[in-house]
Amino acid sequence: MIEPATSFAAIDQSFFTDRSGGGCIQENKLFCPGWVVDNYDRYVDPTLQHLVLVGSAVVGGFLIAFALAILAHRHRFLQTPFLAGTGILYTIPSISFFFLLLPITGRGPLTAIIALTAFNLQIIFRNITNGLRNVPPNVTEAATGIGMTRSQVLWRVEIPLSMPEIIAGLRIATVSTVALATLAVFANGGGLGTEIVSGSNITFKTGIIVAGSIAVIMAIVFDGVLLLTGKLLAPWQRKRVIT
Amino acid sequence: MAEESVSASPVRFESVTKRYPDADSVAVEDLTFEVPAGEICVLVGPSGCGKTTALRMVNRTVEMTSGDILIGERSVKEGDAARLRREIGYVIQQIGLFPHRTIAQNIGTVPALLGWDKERIRARSAELLDLIGLDPEYGDRYPSQLSGGQQQRVGVARALAVDPPVMLMDEPFGAIDPINRGRLQNEFLRLQSELRKTILFVTHDVDEAIKMGDRVAVLKKGGQLAQFATPTELLMEPADDFVEDFVGADRALKRLALMRVRDVDLWTAPLAQAGDPCEPVRTAVSAAEVPYALLVDGEQRPIGWLSERDLAGEKVPSTPDSAADPLIDSDSVLRDGLATLLQSGALYAPVIDARGRLTGVLSVEIVSDFLSSGKAAESELAATERPHD
Repeated sequence: MIEPATSFAAIDQSFFTDRSGGGCIQENKLFCPGWVVDNYDRYVDPTLQHLVLVGSAVVGGFLIAFALAILAHRHRFLQTPFLAGTGILYTIPSISFFFLLLPITGRGPLTAIIALTAFNLQIIFRNITNGLRNVPPNVTEAATGIGMTRSQVLWRVEIPLSMPEIIAGLRIATVSTVALATLAVFANGGGLGTEIVSGSNITFKTGIIVAGSIAVIMAIVFDGVLLLTGKLLAPWQRKRVIT
Repeated sequence: MAEESVSASPVRFESVTKRYPDADSVAVEDLTFEVPAGEICVLVGPSGCGKTTALRMVNRTVEMTSGDILIGERSVKEGDAARLRREIGYVIQQIGLFPHRTIAQNIGTVPALLGWDKERIRARSAELLDLIGLDPEYGDRYPSQLSGGQQQRVGVARALAVDPPVMLMDEPFGAIDPINRGRLQNEFLRLQSELRKTILFVTHDVDEAIKMGDRVAVLKKGGQLAQFATPTELLMEPADDFVEDFVGADRALKRLALMRVRDVDLWTAPLAQAGDPCEPVRTAVSAAEVPYALLVDGEQRPIGWLSERDLAGEKVPSTPDSAADPLIDSDSVLRDGLATLLQSGALYAPVIDARGRLTGVLSVEIVSDFLSSGKAAESELAATERPHD
C-alpha cells in the first residue's frame, strides 16, 4: 500500500544521510538536487549492473536469433515454428517469466538475463528474417549465376544487404531491454530498478527520477551508437541520388 | 581456364531435355544445335517456350534431365557448378547488381571469387569501365547512383570480368526503354566485334533476335527447336508456319534491319561548292540520278540542297534555300535510314560517314529496289556471313 502523501517518517532510513535536508526530502518533492549531489555514488553499481543485464540480453538474444534466422532461411519450414516459439517468449510478461524461472535458476541476474534474452528473440529474429527476405531475388539470382556458393551468397550478399533491418531490430530490442531491465530487481537481478523500488515500497520521487533518467540516457546512447553503426555498415544507403 | 587470352569456345547442345517433376509437359525437348566459337546465337520464342530454361542449363542454374551441353570439349556436368559459373559470363534482365557494393567491386566480384589480388582486380575494373565507356570515377559509386542503361553496361562488364569464353545473356536489354535499348544493342555489337565471345542470348523480341544474332534458334512451346538459321535465312525461308507467323507478316521489312546504309548502292548527286560557276552544275543536274545538286564544303560535308533559283545566277551561293536535312549516318541500318527519310518527307537524304563527309544519297526508290531484287537476298546472305562489323 502506498500512502498518497508520503511523510518524513515513511521514507526509508537510508535517506537520512541527506545533509542538505531542508524540507525537500521530507515533503518528497518532485526533485531534490541536493540529495542527488550527495547520493550520486549509489547509482554507480546499479548502472553497471544495468549495462551488464542489457548487454548480455541483447548480445545473447542477437546470437540466438541470428542462428535461428539463418537456419530458417535455409530451411523454410522452420520459419513458422521459430516465429511462433519466439512469439510466445515475447508475450510472456517478464515478471511472470522471473517466477517461472526461479525454481530453475534461482534468484539473481542470470534469471533476469534469461528472461530478457527470451523477450528479445522475437524482435531480432523477425527483423533478420525480414531483412533476408527483402533481398531482391534478382540480386541473389545474379550472385548464384556468376558463381557464388550458397554460403558466399549468404555472407557476401544477403547478410550485408539485410544490415539496415538487422540494426533496426537491434535498436528496438536494446531500447526495450533498457526499460524492461528495471524489472530485474524483482528477480534480485540488480540494475537501476533497485533504485526505483528502493525503500520499503515507497516512491521516493527524486530517486525514481534519477534512476529513470539514467535508463533513458542509456537507451538514447545505445540507440545512437547503433544508428551510427548502421550507417557505417550500410554506406550505400546514404547515396541515393542518381546523377 | 584462360584468364589472359581472349578466347571463345563453341557451345554444343546435344539432345538436351528438361522435364520438371511437377509438370505434365517437357520444358525443353531434345534440343540439339551448335553455336560456333565467337558467334552470337539468339534463342527466341514466345513465352513458355523454354528459352530461358535452355540458357540456364548451360551454367547449371537449371539442371538438365538428359542430354549434354559441351563448352569446347568439356561437358558442363563435369565438376562443381559454382566453379563452372565463374567461367561463364552471365547477364540477366534485372541486371542484379549488388546494391551494397560499389561499381568497381561489382565488376570485380568474380575475380575476387577466383582469388585475384587487389591490385589486379582494381586494374581489371578500370579497364572494363573504360571498355563500357564509363568514367573511372564511376567505380566508386553505388548502383543506385547510376541510370538503368549505365547499370546494364556495368552488368555486362561484371560478366566480362574474367574474360570468359562463353557468355549467357537473358533478355539483357528487356527492361531498358526503346531508345536506350537500341543504343545499348549497337554498343554491345561493337564490343562483341572486338571481343568475339560465344554468346547465347535470350529474347522474346524477334527484331532484337534478327539484329543481334549471327544465328537464331526459334523455339516453340514445349521447348522444341523450330528453326536454327541465320537471320536472313529465317526471314527468307521460314521453316514452317509457326516460324513464319512468329517472324511476322512484315518480315520483308525486317530484312531492312539486316543491312546497313553503306551496304547498298547509293545514288550520286551533282556536287557544287560555294562560288563555283552555276552553268556546269545546271547541266549536271539535268543528267543526274538525283535531280538536285548538293552544296558541300571543302571537306565534302553537305551544307544544303541547291534549288533552281539558287542555280539561276552566275555563281553558286553559300547559303542555299534548303538545308541538307535530314542527314543519314552510313552506319545506321537500312530500316532506320528509310524511317528517317519517310519521317522528314524528303525524297532524298545525303548519307554521311563518321566524319560527316558525303558518301552518297539515299532515296526511297533504292530501298524498294533493294527489297524486290533477287540480288538483294544474295548480297544479304553474303553480308550476314561476316558477323557484325
